[in-house]
Amino acid sequence: MKNKNKSRLSIKSLISNVAVNPLLQVAIIAIAAIIILAGLYWLNKDNSISIEENKKIDITPTMIKSIENIGEWEFLQVNDEELTDTTRHSFFGDDKLVRIYYGTLRLGINLHETNKDWIKVDHDTIKAILPPIKLLDNEFIDEARTKPFSETGTWTDKDRKALYNKAYNAMKARCMAADNITKAKNNATIQFNNILHSMGFEYVKIRFDK
Amino acid sequence: MKHKATLIVIMAITLLASCNRNKTDETAKQIDTIPEIVMHIQKCSRLYTAEYKFHKIITHLDKKTIKASLFKTDMSFDIPMSQRKIAIPMDATVKAYIDFSNFSEKNITKFGNKIEVTLPDPRIIMTSSRIDHEGIKKDVSLVRSNFSDEELLSYEKQGRDQIIKSIPQTDILERAKMNAANNIIPMIKLMGYDEKDITISFRKGLNNNINNLIDKTTIEHEK
Repeated sequence: MKNKNKSRLSIKSLISNVAVNPLLQVAIIAIAAIIILAGLYWLNKDNSISIEENKKIDITPTMIKSIENIGEWEFLQVNDEELTDTTRHSFFGDDKLVRIYYGTLRLGINLHETNKDWIKVDHDTIKAILPPIKLLDNEFIDEARTKPFSETGTWTDKDRKALYNKAYNAMKARCMAADNITKAKNNATIQFNNILHSMGFEYVKIRFDK
Repeated sequence: MKHKATLIVIMAITLLASCNRNKTDETAKQIDTIPEIVMHIQKCSRLYTAEYKFHKIITHLDKKTIKASLFKTDMSFDIPMSQRKIAIPMDATVKAYIDFSNFSEKNITKFGNKIEVTLPDPRIIMTSSRIDHEGIKKDVSLVRSNFSDEELLSYEKQGRDQIIKSIPQTDILERAKMNAANNIIPMIKLMGYDEKDITISFRKGLNNNINNLIDKTTIEHEK
């Protein structure tokens, strides 16, 4: 009973002290403000707001369109990168689309185009007549590997197709040079010499069909 | 006097304008003459024996979503009328080849009239891919911007990666080995061997590592 009375008295004396002491009032207000601010900081420290969008494609089936047995022997590979651009002039300024295309042109022979007796054995000599060197596949651009470079204005799918054709023609014109065909021919001779020697033939003669 | 001054000013403006026009023409000419970046030529000896053509329709759908975290509570909601979708048809060619560049006597074993040729492991490569630009279908909400070139190419790249991931589900390796034999046996027959005396073999346990047999040029851009 005495203790209860004592604590009541001490609270009363504290309140009366606060009421008369302005320094104590300021200190209490400051402590309360710090507690409130700390609480608000804790509640809001992880606050965030953002606008998001899905950048991934859906998972869709991949179909096999065709399967073919081929016999294409490649002797020269030309890897090309083509920076291709298109510009549209208008009254308010020029629009521009620039892309980097990647392609690999493969030069060699098609074994399905050989003659019936393209390999002949004559004693210790083997003779091979190879079909002419050509571009093994007309589809040589890996369009899905294309990299964007710059885009201003609005471009249609038709414009993108035209840009692909421009890159295709440029790559083909540059890579199908006579020099590259000669290189492929020389390498074909070296490689067939090596293979036929490995088969145990001492003398090998290689020539190309005209 | 006044007329003379006006005439001089008009002449000066005309002269300046003509100079500027020449400059613009030069800039326009420069735009269309961007040269190639790199051309890399490599000698090789690869026999391509199987060709698979793949077709895929890449689809993508996105909406703008507001994601917020307030007072330790996560919330998200879609912005109305913010939907865009696109379908991109795509074709890709994948081929399997045997690399003969290191072919030597070590690959050949002869006993009497019989010959056994051990061929190197077949490798798989994506040789081309093509987008059917005319077949692309898209639906863009009025409040959204059209698909940018960067976005389109990113979806096409992801479609390419999905095709590469589906390669192990095909029988391309088996077909490549069978067709390699179909190409090599007639050659050896022309050298004077009977068909029954010719054996074409590959190393054992090949099929377990199909992912390792995909040519690095096909997957190097997956990073």
